[in-house]
Amino acid sequence: MNWGPIAFAAPGALWALAALPALFFILRAAPPSPRRVAFPPLRLLIGLSTDEQTRARAPLWLVLLRAAMAALMIIGFARPSLAPAAAAEIGSGGRTLIVLDDGWTAAPHWTQARAAALDAIEAADRARGQVHVLRTAPARRADDAAAALTPAAARALLARIEPRPWRSDRGDAARRLSSVQGRFDRIVWIADGLADPGDGAFIAALTARGPVSARLPGATARALIAAAAGADGVTATARRVHGGSSAGVAIGVIAAETAQGRSLGAGDIAFNGAEASVRIALPGDIAARAARVRLVGEESAGAVRLLAGGAARPSVGLIDPGAEGQPLLSDLYYVERALAPYAALRRGAAGALATARTQALILPDASRLAPQDRAALDRWLARGGVLIRFAGPRLANDADDLLPVRLRPGARTFGSALAWERPQRLGAFAAQSPFAGLTVPDDVAVRRVVLAEPSAETESRVWARLADGAPLVSAAARGRGLIVLFHVSAGPDWSDLPLSGLYVEMLRRVLAFAGRAQDAADAQTGGGPYTPRLLLDGFGALSPAPPDAPTIAADVFATARAGPATPPGLYERGGVAAALDAAGADEIMAPLSLPASITQMGLTGARARPLSGLFLGAALALLALDLLISLALAGRLRGAGAAAGVTLALFLLAPDAFAQGADDPTLNVHLAYVRTGEAATDRLAREGLEALTHVLTNRTAVEPGAPIGVDLGRDDLSVFPFIYWAAPSAPRRLSDAAIANLDRYLRLGGLVLVDTRDAGRTGGGRPAAVLLAGLDAPPLEPVGADHVLTRAFYLMHAFPGRAPAPRLWAESASAAAARDGVASLFVGDGDWARAWASLDGGDLPGGARQREMALRFGVNLVMVALTGNYKADQVHIPALLERLGREP
Amino acid sequence: MPFPDTARAEAAALAGDLPGLLMEARRLAAAAPGAHGRRRAGQGEAFWQYRDHRAEEGARAVDWRRSARGDRLYVRERELDAAQSALFWIDPAPGFDWASDGAYPRKFRRALVVSLALATLFSRGGERIGALGGPPRLGARAVERFALDLISARNEEPPQAPARARVLLASDFYAPVETWRGHLARLAGVGVSGALLMIADPAEEDFPYDGRTLFHEVGGRRELLLGRAGGARAEFSARLAAHRRAMREMARGLGFVLLTHRTDHPAAPIFSALADALSGRAR
Repeated sequence: MNWGPIAFAAPGALWALAALPALFFILRAAPPSPRRVAFPPLRLLIGLSTDEQTRARAPLWLVLLRAAMAALMIIGFARPSLAPAAAAEIGSGGRTLIVLDDGWTAAPHWTQARAAALDAIEAADRARGQVHVLRTAPARRADDAAAALTPAAARALLARIEPRPWRSDRGDAARRLSSVQGRFDRIVWIADGLADPGDGAFIAALTARGPVSARLPGATARALIAAAAGADGVTATARRVHGGSSAGVAIGVIAAETAQGRSLGAGDIAFNGAEASVRIALPGDIAARAARVRLVGEESAGAVRLLAGGAARPSVGLIDPGAEGQPLLSDLYYVERALAPYAALRRGAAGALATARTQALILPDASRLAPQDRAALDRWLARGGVLIRFAGPRLANDADDLLPVRLRPGARTFGSALAWERPQRLGAFAAQSPFAGLTVPDDVAVRRVVLAEPSAETESRVWARLADGAPLVSAAARGRGLIVLFHVSAGPDWSDLPLSGLYVEMLRRVLAFAGRAQDAADAQTGGGPYTPRLLLDGFGALSPAPPDAPTIAADVFATARAGPATPPGLYERGGVAAALDAAGADEIMAPLSLPASITQMGLTGARARPLSGLFLGAALALLALDLLISLALAGRLRGAGAAAGVTLALFLLAPDAFAQGADDPTLNVHLAYVRTGEAATDRLAREGLEALTHVLTNRTAVEPGAPIGVDLGRDDLSVFPFIYWAAPSAPRRLSDAAIANLDRYLRLGGLVLVDTRDAGRTGGGRPAAVLLAGLDAPPLEPVGADHVLTRAFYLMHAFPGRAPAPRLWAESASAAAARDGVASLFVGDGDWARAWASLDGGDLPGGARQREMALRFGVNLVMVALTGNYKADQVHIPALLERLGREP
Repeated sequence: MPFPDTARAEAAALAGDLPGLLMEARRLAAAAPGAHGRRRAGQGEAFWQYRDHRAEEGARAVDWRRSARGDRLYVRERELDAAQSALFWIDPAPGFDWASDGAYPRKFRRALVVSLALATLFSRGGERIGALGGPPRLGARAVERFALDLISARNEEPPQAPARARVLLASDFYAPVETWRGHLARLAGVGVSGALLMIADPAEEDFPYDGRTLFHEVGGRRELLLGRAGGARAEFSARLAAHRRAMREMARGLGFVLLTHRTDHPAAPIFSALADALSGRAR
């Protein structure tokens, strides 16, 4: 039932309003009861001039107040809600069509979209109608043809719907809609606000079927359309809707992460137009570890860019040919330039390089192998190394047996003065080749190659061929390792290949085998389709691909766009990882334009606002008022009134009173602990810090206030010099906001002691790894005897906590160089809070002395937090004394 | 008596508390300033002392039995005899056995304590004490027996007293003045004098009521509803003062002293005042 913009969910209750007049008279006849007192000198009272009251009638205004209270309660129980859209709601019965854009573009505002859909279902429920739900992002299996559902079933369906990691296809949705007959009484389109090529047909189909209202998000989704890791960092480009009523948010942060989710670095982006780029400056070897780039805070598949090559950065050895006069003409120069962004390169002799650490070795023609080097190389290959060889004059004349194919002596030369053949072009890569999908430039000429003895075996080992079929790259397993031979030289002497970008890509594809060094030989059986390993969901999270995930044929992979048959994620083919991103480089991000016939509303603006609470709350307030009035009428309000006033004032002023307490960390030093959410851990941390605070106050010039628990995700940490973080028994990964907050705190020079509290305990997880996952944690080193921590206040040699000699690491001095060498992060397992909080050390193995030493450690740590490396100068005292003594 | 059973039960309860009451009364009596001294020679029955005979006294005064044992003449002196008895009456009305607040003693109890203290004092002085309408008590256990008499007496109106006795009437005296004039005149008619102890609860004097209040009698059925009780305060106080003034005038005319007391005040001052008013010295 509706009354203007107010809808009642239980209109039956309103009938009770009819009883209000009767209630009025009843109330009128029942005045508030007077206070009864015994009074012996009653005789003296009788006949006073003060009017004696009859007890028959209650005052009119009181009766009106109570009647209003009853009316408010009745209306409240009728469950009213303020729904601006309710006026347009259908009457009883009818069909509602809910069109839900559920591509990844809806993921950032999915909760709102789902709430809007629930609103529509709620409205249909009130009207006792049917609901059809049409999802615009196509499913792999055509299963949603917008069948009629009861509102309850629609709610259940909605609870299961998650955004899909590809874009909506409204043309397809229009086709699916045509399978449902009849008109709809109401069509609610919960749109993602982005245009789609099928919009025209879709809008026409919708408007033909009934009145359409569209719910549009305030800010549309943004996409990362490009990301690459280079030698000087990670670059990324984001695109958004520019202009129109629902543009994407103009600022953001782009972060590069490793495969394990550890943040490598982040950069701010600010959109001026539709696109914005950022370069996250990182050392090349760090950048190469980036496995994905994310638009922070935007949880959608399109806001994630996968860097397939970043899963691992192989360690590659370049076997040095020794002294050469012209480095720019050296073969290795080209290899080095090609691989430097993608691999950790080392030069040296084969024997020194052929260690387990090295995953691939590059052997140019000029390099010689000493016999002992050769033996080492054989062993290394047998363990799974990848040897990449290049041809050259030496190999052409004197082939050894470290080759995938048997070579014919001499080289085939094209286009030289004495040859009649013209230089050869490259042939297209076969579908089963590891190079499949790479584009072959047509300006690469090959002038010389070494030739393989033709055999059936040779044919199967060829990865790439020239246009006339002569092998260009061949490979064969050796032991568990792999030998790959480029039949041309590593430099530009024999071909233009080293000058083209293809050279880099081919080398990277080969190096992908090195990333899997232990089974390089197995992986080289290239071919077949790309099989998914990790797939993105609509929110941009990676999860292992289900067994029935579709594979993608090699020839279409390069041009594939994310879709139901080609879900985005990390694929693999012949050991080579490749990424298929949700958003293409040419992703169209245009605002959805709707005709005037479609009413438009925001996703959040038009929520039906339940008013029951408001009415019942007002009734309760009146009830309280009535109580006070009754007390006042009975003359009992003198004490009670004051108490009620004070209570009310406390109620209203409580937050302020709390904030203005003596615990303002901006006015005094306070130790802080991280509220982990585990009551026992938090209590222990607080008690430990209270004990430490007490000791600091008694012994040092530092007189901190009461310890304060902080929420890493929300609180401003910068006011705390020292934060104690006790690992809870079930550590969880921090939220993004908490990581950013903690990163900032550490960069600003704060000090965090992470206490894993597991000293002496074996097994279990690695709480510190979990707690610090994603954090830009600096490298750590054990705290040594010359660390400033050993002399900041007390001279100490060990740092006992609950355990007598726990391990303690601090940020390495080199990492902390920017802060004058003051470490900002300490990680240990001493369970110090328990030691501090213990009563006289009774429960510690070392008794009171151990507690004392633990407290001294705490004092030192707080001193380090407050004074930095002030006391580190003492490191030099022996040298200074010696120098003083030497002078006359 | 309107509520005999209740009264008996309350009497029993009070009697059970008798040691406490007596203790309280003795403490009060001990703390009384000014001894109730009567230890001097006078017209009494008991032997007081022998003293030398003076010539102007004549031979009739000589105590020959004593003088015969020696050479000197002795006169036998008797102690001054307090021949009067002190009689007590406490109003047994339910409205008198009432307190507005647990913090104050009931008016009845305060009257009982003060009466017992006075009885203790008088009994120590050799006087006879008794409940009005009951037998006078004398001797070592006089106070205890008198206390039981007093508690169980429960005479709604003060009974007639023997001639020339001294009486203490304790009540709130809220009944009309004319009622009391009748009682007092009946007593004064046989030469009885004494004191009226008017005990009031603080609430009865201060009238601390506000707002809509229903006043009802204690042990009665009369009720009065006031819309704004606070407004009646001034007028009630005036009425109370007028009533007291009239009572005092009437009592004085019949040879009685009226003393007022509030239960939230200490008992010692009113005890002293009563002791003075009832002892021979003050008269």
